[in-house]
Amino acid sequence: MKHMPRTWKAGAVGLLALTSLAACVVGGYDGGGGVGYVGGFYEPGGYEYGGWGPGYRVGPPRGGVRGSGGRARPSIPHGQRGGGGHGGRPH
Amino acid sequence: MTHSKGSGRNLGRQWLCAALLYAAAAAAAHSALSAAVVLPPLTQPASGEHHVGKVVWADLVTPDLDGAKRFYGGLFGWTFRDVPGERNYALALLNGEPVAGMFQKALPASQSQQPAWLTFLAVQDVDAVQQAALQDGGKVLSKAHYYAHRGRQAVLADPDGAVFAVLAAEGGDPPDYLAAPGEWIWSSLLVADPKQETAFYKSLFGYDVYDLASDGGSEGDAQHYILSSDDYARAGLNALPADSMRRHPHWLNFVRVTDAVDTAKKAVALGGRVLVEPRLDRHGGHLAVVADPSGAPFGVMEWSDTDTKQEPQ
Repeated sequence: MKHMPRTWKAGAVGLLALTSLAACVVGGYDGGGGVGYVGGFYEPGGYEYGGWGPGYRVGPPRGGVRGSGGRARPSIPHGQRGGGGHGGRPH
Repeated sequence: MTHSKGSGRNLGRQWLCAALLYAAAAAAAHSALSAAVVLPPLTQPASGEHHVGKVVWADLVTPDLDGAKRFYGGLFGWTFRDVPGERNYALALLNGEPVAGMFQKALPASQSQQPAWLTFLAVQDVDAVQQAALQDGGKVLSKAHYYAHRGRQAVLADPDGAVFAVLAAEGGDPPDYLAAPGEWIWSSLLVADPKQETAFYKSLFGYDVYDLASDGGSEGDAQHYILSSDDYARAGLNALPADSMRRHPHWLNFVRVTDAVDTAKKAVALGGRVLVEPRLDRHGGHLAVVADPSGAPFGVMEWSDTDTKQEPQ
């Protein structure tokens, strides 16, 4: 009877250690345990969108518009999907 | 008593064996689960093209995957496919083609965080970019990790704190073409110090930086830069509106729509909020910023196929 508790303790420690090991193996993708999916990030709160005045613009320029230096403003791709890989260049 | 001592030992051994079997089975099951998670490649068949600096993917991180499916499905006609082996990640599809990922994760109650769309920029060497980001004042939020078929990706923050991801896609990047309605068409980075940020992004992605204010741009073009590669505009870089007290630098992605006003109304009807009312932008179309029901912001933008070669004044 004296040895029983020791055996039980050994079993319990083994169980704990191996369960922990199993938990480590789990961590890869599912967002658990602080490892998680590489893309699983919440961002700091505090986005504020109330301050967009009338002159505040964020969109892309149209193609073909040239600045004062003569350099064409870059625009987004213009070609259609499947139209030869790169599609049309901005005009 | 002898009988009792022997049976105790046996019982102990049985427990130990059971524990070993349990742990081994759990480890094997979870390994199998992880191995079964397969993200599809960005391009099928493989494009073999590389467009460093192009926005090639976006992942929504949300506490309510089912709610997000209802919202985005209703708004853009996206359909969804759960990723095999992973109940927390679903693919959003438009006309059968993957357009975004959605990842469910519990929102920490103790911290001030919010759901968001994570922007993925194309690179060829994730580890080199990760190192460069650290050297240039950025942070690595999630170290490079490889996903079969998808490629290697990492999550970084720029010196201002805006979060983005980099991806070296295994089969190459999607070709350049004009986004169809329902697809991502534009990305904007809103930061406190745009000029300083251009140096960081130029260093990481080799962008050409176009200063809209320097070419006689109109009011509102101050501190507005265009990041381009392969002669295409990849993203805009704007100063955060100065009158805002609660602001945090971030990437904002826009989905092409045919009518931003209608889309904004529909977003509200589906449980979202309008953050920036539809407004005319430089390209001659309307854009708006909305938040989905969990609070993740994104933009919607009209873009006419016709090349007007003129911008509204």
